[in-house]
Amino acid sequence: MQRFFAAWRDTLLAVGRDAGVLLLLVAAPVLYAFFYPWPYAAQAVTRVPVAVVDQDHTSLSRQIIRFASANPRIDVRWVTGDVRQAQEAVWRGDIEGFVILPADLKRNAVRGTSAVVSVEGNGSYALLNKAVLYGFAEAVGTVSAGIEIKRLRASGQSQSQATAARNPVAALLVPMFNPTEGYGSYVVPAVALLIVQQTLLMGVALLVGTWVEQGTARAPPAQWLGRLAAFATLGLASGLFYTGWVFFWQDYPRGANPGASVLLLVLYACAVAPLGALLGLWFKDRERAMQVLLLTALPMAFLSGFSWPVEALDAPLQALRWCIPSTAAIQASLRLNEMGAPWQAVGWHMAVLGAVAVLATTATVLLARVRLPAASVRR
Amino acid sequence: MVLGASARREWRLLRSRPWDWALITWVPLLACLLLWWIFSAGLPRALPIGLVDNDHSALSRQLTRFLQATPGLSLNGRYDNMAQAEAALRRADIYAVLAIPSDFTRNIKEGRQAQVTLFHNAQLGTHSGLIQRDVRTAVGTLSAGIEMAARNKRGEPSQTVRVAMEPLRADLITLFNTALNYEQFLAAALIPALLHILAMTAGAWGVGRELRDATLGEWLGAHPTASQTMAALLGKLFWPWCTLSLVGTAMLLWLTWGRGWQPQGSLAWTLVALWVFVALSISMGAVASGVTRSLRTALSATGFVTAPAFAFSGVAFPIVSMPLAAQWWAKALPYTHYIRVQIEQLQMGAPLRYSVTAPMVMAAVCMVTLLVTGITLKRAAVQPNTWGKR
Repeated sequence: MQRFFAAWRDTLLAVGRDAGVLLLLVAAPVLYAFFYPWPYAAQAVTRVPVAVVDQDHTSLSRQIIRFASANPRIDVRWVTGDVRQAQEAVWRGDIEGFVILPADLKRNAVRGTSAVVSVEGNGSYALLNKAVLYGFAEAVGTVSAGIEIKRLRASGQSQSQATAARNPVAALLVPMFNPTEGYGSYVVPAVALLIVQQTLLMGVALLVGTWVEQGTARAPPAQWLGRLAAFATLGLASGLFYTGWVFFWQDYPRGANPGASVLLLVLYACAVAPLGALLGLWFKDRERAMQVLLLTALPMAFLSGFSWPVEALDAPLQALRWCIPSTAAIQASLRLNEMGAPWQAVGWHMAVLGAVAVLATTATVLLARVRLPAASVRR
Repeated sequence: MVLGASARREWRLLRSRPWDWALITWVPLLACLLLWWIFSAGLPRALPIGLVDNDHSALSRQLTRFLQATPGLSLNGRYDNMAQAEAALRRADIYAVLAIPSDFTRNIKEGRQAQVTLFHNAQLGTHSGLIQRDVRTAVGTLSAGIEMAARNKRGEPSQTVRVAMEPLRADLITLFNTALNYEQFLAAALIPALLHILAMTAGAWGVGRELRDATLGEWLGAHPTASQTMAALLGKLFWPWCTLSLVGTAMLLWLTWGRGWQPQGSLAWTLVALWVFVALSISMGAVASGVTRSLRTALSATGFVTAPAFAFSGVAFPIVSMPLAAQWWAKALPYTHYIRVQIEQLQMGAPLRYSVTAPMVMAAVCMVTLLVTGITLKRAAVQPNTWGKR
């Protein structure tokens, strides 16, 4: 036991003395906490630059332009009569979409023949496209509804009857857990767990790789358990830093089930720390882990299921994703911190992390007992 | 020839170091294929939703059938009350629940507007966006059917009804990526983002390892001239440039021709841009090692610059919506400019003149970066006491 605590303390001191490890285990999580939420500070996509192609030049087309200008999703930069000009502006990136109000729009609307306006959004950018299409559709829909209700009332219906007649069934959309539908609130709470994993894996593998180079990696089980506990302590600290402070500071949905979420972080840190140690023992090289792990974050993020629905993954990928601790941790953390699920709802996720922790710790302790080829860096 | 000698030496080293070889050849290829595989479905189907039907009427059953017929949705759970449904939402067993109130049919029969409510999990942005769209369509279909039936009953001829219902119709056209196909939208953008990480890592590693292993003298000679240093640098970086660009080329060809996607713009120019972009990424890694003389620090810098490059690129979250300083950072990142060219050419079908400048600027920046690397290495070559930094 004494050896365990001595190893725990010595490892923390070793981390403090090694600038490279300190950078990865302490500075990087802090830095990313400011850096990663930064682009999403505004949370919502508003005032997307658009144009109006007005070929009708009537009171109706001007009314649509007025409603479009008042819509918060879009920002009508200019009105032109030339479709080509609008198209070129999309290519230049000056605007992200436009609406075409064709000639005879008002005449057709008044006569009761079909009057169609086309809204064209840049489909290469999903969020911009959505803002353009919905922004214009809302403006046109409001004007259209006004015409129709006027007509229905002229045929003798009351205002509410007219509203009901033109749209008998309305769908009310209520966003849960992320009530403002903020983009940062959606992405950062999930990516935070990935940052915790990647920094911990790299930092631990860096230090353990250095130990192997120096021939000090070999140690009895109690000492290795102390070392792993020290790494897990740092992982837990960065996890708590995100769920406990960054989420509050950024005002993300949070803290719905704090007790279970702390337990989750403990399991997560205990699973990732020995995996980092195993990588270090395998690479036997101080810098190799960074070289190998930098590329893994992107595929891991999209396998975890927070942004890309797992329903779209083939069966082998469904299995593969559970081999990565961040999958279980991200899924469980969103349920606990953001959705407010009871701990029973993440029993499976915690079991996965617990199993990884036990297996990886056992493997580390066993591997580090056999003689490690010291200073085996190929020069 | 210094360049040839350096390239031959690098080839021998790469072949004798399995990890170094792997990370510029089969690992990038497998990682790119993995990314493609993740998005190969194109559009997610059968997202699980729940239903609370308090009306139990012919109309509510009709709406249920509409939902069941939507390929994007899978009606997985029926709940007796909202409390049960909410618990399932919190467990993320379902991503949304549609509630049909008990006065649903009565309201419609009595000429009042009826309302259904979709509670969707906005914490999962993609999921809830797709579900909202599909549920809105299903409810809209039901609503339009009811309105048309009512007007027919009042004796309006069905031909004029459709126009009267919507005097102005907004025809929503998504330009360029008409099906909102995520394979073309995300896989095509993420593969270059991954190559960006790999290329800067490779540049940092190639140069940084000579410094770490204190083999700079062996590589450059004791007192290299400026041109010898540059030639040796180009010879070393030649291999990762070729292999990573070839992986990128193969992936882009697979995503387009291989998958029956005929881009409107110039695929050839996109590939030119890709090779320039990979060269620039490698030179960024090299200069990081040259300036810091530390492989580890250069790799840290690589992570800081390349790992969040996708988040800043505007592909997922628009640059115009970022804070001003973040926009500057986004525009300083080469990935932002490469992916704009790729999107212009492969997705938007823009005429070539819109995409000419960015690759040429990238090529110029790449040359400057390589020159700076050469200068730092020439200096480092005569200071052996600074080698071997960990």
